[in-house]
Amino acid sequence: MTTRETAVTWLSLLGGFLAVWSVAAATLPVPAYMLPPPMAVLDAFTDLVVKGILPAYIAESLRRMLLAALIAFAIGVPVGIGLGVSRRLAEFTYPLLNFFQSVSGIAWLPLMLVWFGFGERTILVAVNYTVVFPVALNTLLGVRSVPRIYVNGLRTLGAPRWRIARDVILPGALPSIATGMRLGLAYGWRALIAAEMLVGAHGLGFMIFSAQNFHLTARIVLGMLVIGALWLVLDYFVFRPLEQATIERWGLIQR
Amino acid sequence: MRGLKPFARGLLPFVALVLAWAAVTRAGLVAEIFLPRPEEVLRTGWDMALDGSLWTNIVASLGRVALGLVVSVPLAVGAGVAVGLSRRLAAVLEPVAGFFNSLSGIAWLPLAVTWFGLGWVSVTFIMVNTVFFLVFFNTLVGVRTVPRVFEHAVRTLGGSRRHLIFQVLVPGAMPSIVAGIRMGIGFGWRALIAAEMIATSTGLGFLIFNAQNFHQTDTILVGIITIGLIWLLTDRLVLQPLERWTVERWGMVSAA
Amino acid sequence: MDGRALGDGERRVSTLRHRTGRFALVVGALVLGWQAFLALSAPRRVDGALATQLEQAEYANITVTLGFPPEDFHIRVFQTHGIVSGVRGTTVLLNRVTPEHVRRISRYYWVQRISAQRSQS
Repeated sequence: MTTRETAVTWLSLLGGFLAVWSVAAATLPVPAYMLPPPMAVLDAFTDLVVKGILPAYIAESLRRMLLAALIAFAIGVPVGIGLGVSRRLAEFTYPLLNFFQSVSGIAWLPLMLVWFGFGERTILVAVNYTVVFPVALNTLLGVRSVPRIYVNGLRTLGAPRWRIARDVILPGALPSIATGMRLGLAYGWRALIAAEMLVGAHGLGFMIFSAQNFHLTARIVLGMLVIGALWLVLDYFVFRPLEQATIERWGLIQR
Repeated sequence: MRGLKPFARGLLPFVALVLAWAAVTRAGLVAEIFLPRPEEVLRTGWDMALDGSLWTNIVASLGRVALGLVVSVPLAVGAGVAVGLSRRLAAVLEPVAGFFNSLSGIAWLPLAVTWFGLGWVSVTFIMVNTVFFLVFFNTLVGVRTVPRVFEHAVRTLGGSRRHLIFQVLVPGAMPSIVAGIRMGIGFGWRALIAAEMIATSTGLGFLIFNAQNFHQTDTILVGIITIGLIWLLTDRLVLQPLERWTVERWGMVSAA
Repeated sequence: MDGRALGDGERRVSTLRHRTGRFALVVGALVLGWQAFLALSAPRRVDGALATQLEQAEYANITVTLGFPPEDFHIRVFQTHGIVSGVRGTTVLLNRVTPEHVRRISRYYWVQRISAQRSQS
């Protein structure tokens, strides 16, 4: 299929969708606030940008995600490696890590609220928790998946432990680490939105939640579009290429 | 009986964890209100099981999961197959479905509350749309990857469109569909708990969020453990075997 | 050991550099440019009279003029800079604002003007 055909199909689908939406907004017998027309969403966008609200909230949410990514990487990778090098330790801790990963950070939020109250710290703890576990878990799996023959090979050549870690284990685990980061951040982004709704310390989640209180539905829709678009952009430009590159550069044959 | 030893071995870390928990609380390192003792949590859990409050909340949450699945999976598979029949449409809609994937879940809650008000409808809607978009996307991808050779074979043998759909496309896409269902339940369960905290007054999410109001940390921990256990059991006993069986039955790559 | 690790991999890694690197460069340039714009446009927002007043006083009571009626968001932002004593249409009255906080307020692109409060009424 040529790019022209794709573009045409795209545009006609988009146009059709917008048309149906506008007609529905104009004709359906519901209160105006339930279904704002597409133009209203565009107006909400300009309104929120002119007032400085949207950029501030976007920056807030992104800042929290960046912090979570850095902290999770700094904690999850060393922990994963430390646990992964010993088969016994890895087998022992794997069920624990798995369990705590499936109890997402949001489920811990009420406990965090008791500990830290309604503030930024609660949000950060919940989101960091959500991102750390997939990273640690995948790092552990990555370390375990490095074939023993490489490790033993370096050992017979007399390499010290740290050298083995740096030259064999770390590169071998990198694809899994990248996957873990991507997975963790995907969970983390959703947890962030939920936490911002519950704790209320600014951010995109808070924005769409409080907009609902005032029935500013166009703002809700806009917020949702921004939330989805931000993740897509980050995933397309950063996470997926990084994951892909680590697999292709350091991925092992059995992948 | 065969699975008993690995099961016991899998249980050991958790026993160690509980022991560590008991040790920390006994040592007085953390205030009682922040981290109650394991026996407190156990007692509270037992009381809640006896007076029924635990069950009503579990049933409420699981009921929403079940309802969400019943509604969304057929819709998603149907829509995915319908769109997948046209290669052109599928190629265009796939990125769109991907976009909605990244949007799914809790971000829909304010909109859902605007439309349906507070209550189980909004919360179930979150579950529905999380599962729907994931399964729709996976169905699309699954249908697309069915080798054309099979389609042509069916057509050459004089098969109708119905044959094509039910005997080639759907089975061929099954592994992808089931993987999508598993992912959908995974994401959906989390989104459901979060939604219950915000928008309704029954369910496990509400249970733990409400307990936070009264600083009842033992109730919170009972809830958290229940949430984790339910997911663990569902994933281990239902979803993973299902996925494995689907791949073995219909997977086009032989299960190694 | 397969040769892929060295051969093919190099090319793919450069694709990564291409997409992610480009993205990082664009984002970085935009951020820097924006910060520069904010820094340059900030002084213009502060009234001359207020600026001289701030050179001597420890605090000032100011009037912030926006292009629109302020929302909850803006009130909350201003509360971190001083004591909000009133809202009149598109202006917000802030008391006991230090020069440092006035500087920070002047960096908001959505603020039109910062001037001294006329009278304590």
